Amino acid sequence: MGPFASGSLLLLGLLVLLATGMPIAFALGLVSIVALILSGGFGVMEIIGETFFGGLASFSLVAIPMFILMGSAVASSPAGRDLYEALDRWLNRVPGGLVLSNIGACSIFSALSGSSPATCAAIGKMGIPAMVERGYPASIATGSIAAGGTLGILIPPSVTMIVYGISTETSIGRLFLAGVLPGVMLTALFMIWTIISCRIAGYSFEAMARRFTLREKLQALPRVLPFLSIVVAILYVLYGGVATPSEAAGAGALFCIVLAVVIYRMWRPGPLVEIFRSTLRESVMIMMIIGASELFAFALSSLFVTQSIAMWIADLEVNRWVLLLFVNIFLLIAGFFLPPVAVILMTAPILLPIIVQAGFDPYWFAVVLTINMEIGLITPPVGLNLYVINGIAPDIPLQTILKGALPYVLCMMLGIIILCFFPGIATWLPGRMMGVAL
Amino acid sequence: MRLYIVTVTALSRAGGVLAMLLLAAAVLVTCQMIFVRYLLGGSTIWQTEFVIYSIVAATFIGSPSVLIDRGHVGVDLLPKALGGTGRRWLEVIGGVAALAFCLLLAWSGFIYFYEALTRGWRTATVWQLPLWIPLFPLPLGIGLLALQYVAEMLKLRDGGTLLAGEATHFEELE
Repeated sequence: MGPFASGSLLLLGLLVLLATGMPIAFALGLVSIVALILSGGFGVMEIIGETFFGGLASFSLVAIPMFILMGSAVASSPAGRDLYEALDRWLNRVPGGLVLSNIGACSIFSALSGSSPATCAAIGKMGIPAMVERGYPASIATGSIAAGGTLGILIPPSVTMIVYGISTETSIGRLFLAGVLPGVMLTALFMIWTIISCRIAGYSFEAMARRFTLREKLQALPRVLPFLSIVVAILYVLYGGVATPSEAAGAGALFCIVLAVVIYRMWRPGPLVEIFRSTLRESVMIMMIIGASELFAFALSSLFVTQSIAMWIADLEVNRWVLLLFVNIFLLIAGFFLPPVAVILMTAPILLPIIVQAGFDPYWFAVVLTINMEIGLITPPVGLNLYVINGIAPDIPLQTILKGALPYVLCMMLGIIILCFFPGIATWLPGRMMGVAL
Repeated sequence: MRLYIVTVTALSRAGGVLAMLLLAAAVLVTCQMIFVRYLLGGSTIWQTEFVIYSIVAATFIGSPSVLIDRGHVGVDLLPKALGGTGRRWLEVIGGVAALAFCLLLAWSGFIYFYEALTRGWRTATVWQLPLWIPLFPLPLGIGLLALQYVAEMLKLRDGGTLLAGEATHFEELE
């Protein structure tokens, strides 16, 4: 059987399993194991466990449970409510202020964590209930957080960019800088769409527009400052190159728990156990999907599915923009099914020479590729952010989250188009700070 | 049948508590590592590996209790749209498929663990931790996950559900 036929069968099998409603992780894992056994015999059983384990045993992944724990500690203390109270007092005259501050918070927090699911978990845990409570439509509340969380793989420091840098032998520092302005641009696009969609949904911003005095605004700050100081400390530690995201996350988690205990007097075992229990629930779910994605990626590359598609695109002698369109469609489809890191590891070494030969900048391409991967994070069947949101807001059906996230996919596509017309958005800052790329 | 469900569920819950402790230990060791490395300027030997393997172990050992709480999310569009018998069939098929995955992964994980144990493999670091120690949670946790899946499917007969967000605890079925 050729790679295309076996690849199609594999995807079909996955879709059928997912349709039963079974856990994503187990469906992904099962089709991968079956595909590997069918193509390579039972001997492959010797490396299934090793691959799954190896996919999880990485220090950079440690950041995920740690940041979930941090968000969980903040969320179960009244700090979250205090923060939203403060943000509301400062931003309530702005249309859609709370959603705007949520997207802003997403882009800042994702910059800290470099992890989209962790951002969704940390901000969404506080943001979604607050927005739903204020009467925002559930689809906009969840969609904006899901989309805002994807900024984490674009805005530095980003694990995805690090993996791209390693697999294509490009400068990680330059990649980080290339992601800054496009990240700001996407944040702005998300904010603009959120305002428009709230208006379309008939949400009345005026109803919330109570005027707060400067005194009231300032009074809201002291309760927020300890929380903000942790955020600033994490920023300082990361951008100062003092520690890795996982270390910063670990320290942040501890500080947040200590703050919750000291300031909010949450010293009873009950709330503390609940913090760890919800952290475990979310992080186990995410880690199992990551491990299974590792198996899935292994199966696809063993069957030469991803490689064949990449080579087929390379064989088409077409106009560079048509080529780019094909590459984008391919990345988009790959991103629907594979986690960003797996897509990058398997395709970047093949795609990059083609892209560079066609006259595109490799750092600009890293940004385009990453935005494609961001789309994959909020589209089924492996849209990790959707499931993270589903995990932290179990009352809101997945369909509503999907519906809310779709317009933001279009925002990202618009972002890619803008980048095609103005590549300087990605290449200007690294050129300015680090000189011309070789 | 009732004894089986109660016993396995108790084991899974115990695993959940252990996983929470591992998570807490990972946080404390990360902070200790930062303290030693950046404030005391010393070098750390075992901390990084300890943190990685604690998180991995928490994932595997905590997995069965997360299943009880329906934390492993799925796309439940079709079964919910079908309802009735169709939904029941999809749940059974999905449950059997998930159980098959757990058994395959646990078995494969056991092969890896057994090789590491019998051949005396160690991690390629200064700490030289025997590899079977971090590998043991894989067959243990996923094996228990398989047992818990059987328990959850037994509950299906009494009107339980496997879909996320609608966890049915045994107590509620009484």
